[in-house]
Amino acid sequence: QRFRFCGDLDCPDWVLAEISTLAKISSVKLKLICAQVLRDLLGEAIEYEKILKLTSDAKLESGDVKATIAVLGFILSSAAKHNVDSESLSSELQQLGLPKEHTSGLCRSYEEKQSSLQDRLRACSLRLSRLGSVCWRVDYTLSSSELREVNEPLVHLTFTVRDGEHGRTETVPMAVSANKFRVLLA
Amino acid sequence: MLLVLSEEQKAHLGCLPRTGGAAIGELGRLAVELLRRGAAPRACEAAARKLNIDVDTIKHGIEGLTYLLTESSKLMISEIDFQDSIHVLGFSGELNKLLLQLYLDNRKEIRSILSELAPKLPSYHSLEWRLDVQLASRSLRQQIKPAVTIKLHLSQDEDQTAQVLQTDPSTLLHLIQQLEQALGEMKTNHCRRIVRNMK
Repeated sequence: QRFRFCGDLDCPDWVLAEISTLAKISSVKLKLICAQVLRDLLGEAIEYEKILKLTSDAKLESGDVKATIAVLGFILSSAAKHNVDSESLSSELQQLGLPKEHTSGLCRSYEEKQSSLQDRLRACSLRLSRLGSVCWRVDYTLSSSELREVNEPLVHLTFTVRDGEHGRTETVPMAVSANKFRVLLA
Repeated sequence: MLLVLSEEQKAHLGCLPRTGGAAIGELGRLAVELLRRGAAPRACEAAARKLNIDVDTIKHGIEGLTYLLTESSKLMISEIDFQDSIHVLGFSGELNKLLLQLYLDNRKEIRSILSELAPKLPSYHSLEWRLDVQLASRSLRQQIKPAVTIKLHLSQDEDQTAQVLQTDPSTLLHLIQQLEQALGEMKTNHCRRIVRNMK
């Protein structure tokens, strides 16, 4: 059976298996755990101790806690990725067997943060390098060892390029003659 | 297949009979720890003090034991071959039995440690992709040219490298088709026969 939040594909087996783990947690606590997982997806720090406290009532083992975080992360980011609205997500999760109160809590958290999640995913998309800044300077060459009277302007450009993933900056300096610079601008 | 021990190793292991039965257990444990975690000089000194033998002899004894265990595990020699190999050292029957037990108990673990020492190629870590459409360029306006940009992240022994590749969708489909054909090879009779024989 195809699900929209999985990109019109079958739901992965591990997600199906963990739905029953989610149902063990109370719906109120699940909404709070969702809030933590959303913080992690939006790039803020996740508070793992809070999640451990929230899951302690349901008596989950440490593997189950990690699985809960993983499955919630998958559901929320995959729904944002495929631009699924909150009602469709709610009906699909109920089809998978998640109880109604849990589903409505999860979908309300999703709806609040859907656009910020999508903005964050857009910003994380593959980007090779970014232009940081451009600096320029125009010199006027009066003379040189080759020719006594040169009288030519010379443009110096420095591009600062940022490598997206490592945050490294590379500076690319270049000198362009006046004619070439005019061609570049044309 | 018999293990051949050099004169130096025989001398190293020669200290073992002097230490006595319980100590052999301790030295064996230290030898396996050496393989698991690397050298532990303080543990050797503590053992030397406890057994009242000098540190160098203990160290040589542990190194000799380590060599014995790794070579035997590497070649996966049988019990009889192991017993014949250590027979040349001239130890008592009880000591030989202790050493054999040490070998058999730790063989599997030592083999799994040794398997990680093989040279490795860079392995797949993750893949990012992006679908773009080129609408215009400096040389030509009003185009429609789709392109898929892929960043392949590879890792090799904690080193991470990234390779950027770009292709058009039809080449990507061809690539996928070739890879599926490669996977399909596993289902041919030839491969099936080999896999069955390996099991």
